[in-house]
Amino acid sequence: MRHQSVPGAPSDVIWLDGVTKAYQAGGPPALADVSMNVAAGEVVAVMGPSGSGKSTLLNLIAGLDRPTAGTVTVAGRRIDTLGEAALARFRARHVGIIFQFFNLLDDLTVEDNVLLPAQLAGASRRQAGARARELLERMGIEQHRDEYPARLSGGQRQRVAIARALVNSPELLLADEPTGALDTATVQEIGRLLRELNAAGQTLVLVTHDPALAQRYAARTVRIVDGRMALAGAGVPA
Amino acid sequence: MTWFGVIRTATGGMLRHKVQAVVLGMVLLTSTASATLGLALLAAGDTPFTRAFAAQHGADVTITVNAARASSAELAATRALGGVTAASGPFSEATVQVQLTGQPFGQRVLAGRSSPGGPVDDLVLNAGHWPNGPGQIVLNGRPGAGPGNGARLGSVLTVGGVPRTPPLEVVGFANSITGTADGWVTPGEITTLRAAGAPASEQMLYSFARAGSYAQVRADVAEVSRALPAGAVAGAGSWLAAESEASGNGAIMEPFVVAFALIGLVMAVLIVGNVVSGAVIAGYRRIGVLKSIGLTPAQVVAAYLSRVGWPAAAGCLAGAVAGNLLAIPVLRQSAGAYGVGSQQVPWWASVAAPAGMLTLTLLAALGPALRAGRLSAVQAIAAGRAPRTGRGYAARLRLPRPAGLGLAAPFARPARAMVTLAAVAFGSCAVIFAFGLHSSLSRAAASDSLSATVPVQIQQSGPGGGPGQAPTAAQDAAVTAALRAQPGALHYVTVYSGGVKVPGITQDVLAQAFAGDASWTGYGIVSGRWYGAPGEVDVNTAFLNASGLAVGDTVTVNTRTAQVTVRIAGEVFQPSSEPQLYGSTQTLPGVARGKNLDHYDVGLRPGTSAAAYIQAVNSALGTRSPWGATTPDISNFYSIATGLVGLLALMVAVAAGLGVLNTVLMTTRDRVHDLGIFKALGMRPGQMLTMVACWVAGPAVVAAAVAAPAAAALNTATVHAMAGTAHTGVPASFTQVFGPARLALLSLAALVIAVAGAFPPASWAARARPAAALRAE
Repeated sequence: MRHQSVPGAPSDVIWLDGVTKAYQAGGPPALADVSMNVAAGEVVAVMGPSGSGKSTLLNLIAGLDRPTAGTVTVAGRRIDTLGEAALARFRARHVGIIFQFFNLLDDLTVEDNVLLPAQLAGASRRQAGARARELLERMGIEQHRDEYPARLSGGQRQRVAIARALVNSPELLLADEPTGALDTATVQEIGRLLRELNAAGQTLVLVTHDPALAQRYAARTVRIVDGRMALAGAGVPA
Repeated sequence: MTWFGVIRTATGGMLRHKVQAVVLGMVLLTSTASATLGLALLAAGDTPFTRAFAAQHGADVTITVNAARASSAELAATRALGGVTAASGPFSEATVQVQLTGQPFGQRVLAGRSSPGGPVDDLVLNAGHWPNGPGQIVLNGRPGAGPGNGARLGSVLTVGGVPRTPPLEVVGFANSITGTADGWVTPGEITTLRAAGAPASEQMLYSFARAGSYAQVRADVAEVSRALPAGAVAGAGSWLAAESEASGNGAIMEPFVVAFALIGLVMAVLIVGNVVSGAVIAGYRRIGVLKSIGLTPAQVVAAYLSRVGWPAAAGCLAGAVAGNLLAIPVLRQSAGAYGVGSQQVPWWASVAAPAGMLTLTLLAALGPALRAGRLSAVQAIAAGRAPRTGRGYAARLRLPRPAGLGLAAPFARPARAMVTLAAVAFGSCAVIFAFGLHSSLSRAAASDSLSATVPVQIQQSGPGGGPGQAPTAAQDAAVTAALRAQPGALHYVTVYSGGVKVPGITQDVLAQAFAGDASWTGYGIVSGRWYGAPGEVDVNTAFLNASGLAVGDTVTVNTRTAQVTVRIAGEVFQPSSEPQLYGSTQTLPGVARGKNLDHYDVGLRPGTSAAAYIQAVNSALGTRSPWGATTPDISNFYSIATGLVGLLALMVAVAAGLGVLNTVLMTTRDRVHDLGIFKALGMRPGQMLTMVACWVAGPAVVAAAVAAPAAAALNTATVHAMAGTAHTGVPASFTQVFGPARLALLSLAALVIAVAGAFPPASWAARARPAAALRAE
């Protein structure tokens, strides 16, 4: 089934049209003919069983990978035709990514982890430092700024990852199982943070296994099964 | 698991890490080739001569005696002197001018011997038979040697300067390992060959109990001299000179080949240790899995040793072949000198070098392999998953972030950074050393041949019209007229050459007398200065060694027509075991005689083409002149040595680059997930390249700082060692080849090696898709 998206809506942050991704030529596609759009300020949850293609979809939206077919437009820019350098610039300026296992760099302090995307985008340490401190304070981990990630709890690490994702004020925040490695209490904390971000206008795509998380925080849920979009439904706004 | 399974496990590991296997193989190829070549040169410089010397009972000392001053009985009595262990002779001796088919065949020392054998200098007859009657001669050497096409069996030589110019038919060729004579005739023949008025002389050949050094040989000669009437000893030759000539250029090359072999060896050990320890660290989880499925600690050790052993064995074998191939041109140079057939790399060198390198490799691998064997399965799996703890240095570097991150990386793996540093240091040291040695050799070549200052020489190229076919005075005058007529000449000087006698030196000293200012000729000054006033001379190192004199001393020189007292103003660079002396014709009037006119040195004005000048002079002289203009000979030793230096340096630099590549590759593999994160956060390919290049830039800068002075010191030591082998001192300018700016520029070799080695994995990292890197474990 092909899900029609509305192309070119000025408010769309994401627009995917007929996107297919196969990792091996001739092999079964990880993602097949997917079309969808996400409007600015919207929270969309992407759900599906393991191996269904959720992370592949996220990678394509983030410009971490390229589709085999179809077009990917994010923040008004078609990214499937960009070269590696342009994609890197695009990611640094327009997209923040939160990973399930945090993907913090163990040999950098908390503050340096947060500063890194800003510095890669060309900001000076002083410019980026103010923003990083603001975010660390907002995330409630300002006191850990000089510590290394290995010494933090899972929830604290994910807060660092969220701060890092937001340091360049991206138009789009992508979260891949952001609570998958956390205990129940911490899941609530992180969920609350994401809701606050969305309340401030942040567009968010949330890949999750957790129906409760999707229902609670996403305005809309996209379900993927065997690489294809199964259905899209409304979530329950919190 | 069976041992076959172990091998399969190791092979599987090797095949998954092809680049590391290739790096290992290449490094060992380089090191083994250098080691094989080094051993071959060491053997070439010693074994064949020693073998032939022992087999032929070579003469430690050959003494020429004025027969008028010592009787046969007195000579025979010297056999019983304390240090003498064996003696042959006396044999009648004559120095004659020889022609072959009307062409000059040179001055030859002939000895009268009834047979080739004897307790000392047991000659080896290579061809023909020993003279059994008058008119027959056996020549030292092989058929075809000598001027023109050389003499062959049946050739007829004529002796000049004696009545009826007696013909001598070549009936055989023999070899004297210490070159006691150029040819042998029957004892009775010598008197007919001696020029009228020439004193009769005899030669005695001795073996001494102690004759291992020039000083001991001098003492031995002095002992014989004391046993004979004063003035009886007219000359002496040493086996050391023969050995030096026979060992030739191969021996001179030994020091730098050994230096490169040692650099290669250390690098091989470092890189092998790094590969295996890297494999152990990267493979902790794999070790745990292997152990959990039943591999014993010994089998784990065997698997890791096998992983290194196969590519190492291939590299060592290929290196032995490469070493043999490299040795061919070098050994060919000195092969003819021994008279013992062609020289080859000894079989033991082809076995010892690869076997030694393989053993070292396995020893280097043993430590990390034992560590892998000792790890428990749980420890290994846990260690493989443990995150690395951080280091805060990156944040403190006020540089663009990719550069700061890259420069901080070595602190996360200090041991690996040290190996990178060492590999780059050794590689860049080899490159800087090679450039320095090339410069030193170029200066030595220019000084030896005077090619930089004397681009043109006028040499005798054919028979003249005078007695003994020497050039006539008119023919000589035509040369100076031709030189004056050509506008390109800036200077020229006439050079006379002849033998002189110096007290304390038993053999003849070759004297060169310059008719005019010769300071511009550019002889390298080892110490002192070029002579400047009448009564001053310069000498070479062999002169000082043989005489025991020093710069500043005075000495009496017998030029055969007169005795002059001269002061030694300086020691010149003239690599030879033959004592040589240089002065003006005013100082050495006995040498400056028409028959000693040897050649003309010509210096050209800037911008003058040597080739055009030579052509113009030769046109002016005409085809009938015995003189011809030519460029000075440059020994092909320098070109072979320079080529070899370049090749060895390239090999070591490539090995160093491969070592860096290996280290960066291992680090890239270790950090592939981090690289994915960097990319996900917006690190561009250029920034990624910068960061990975900076992983090695820090160690490279330190390596350069270490390598530059080390290379300069190594160059100085090597040049002095080479000069020592060539029996010469060296001017300070030969080793002062590294100006600060040049050394700084050459130090960039460290960065070039490091960045070249880091580039392939860095560009892979830059190209890699972030999603793929993030998926990688």
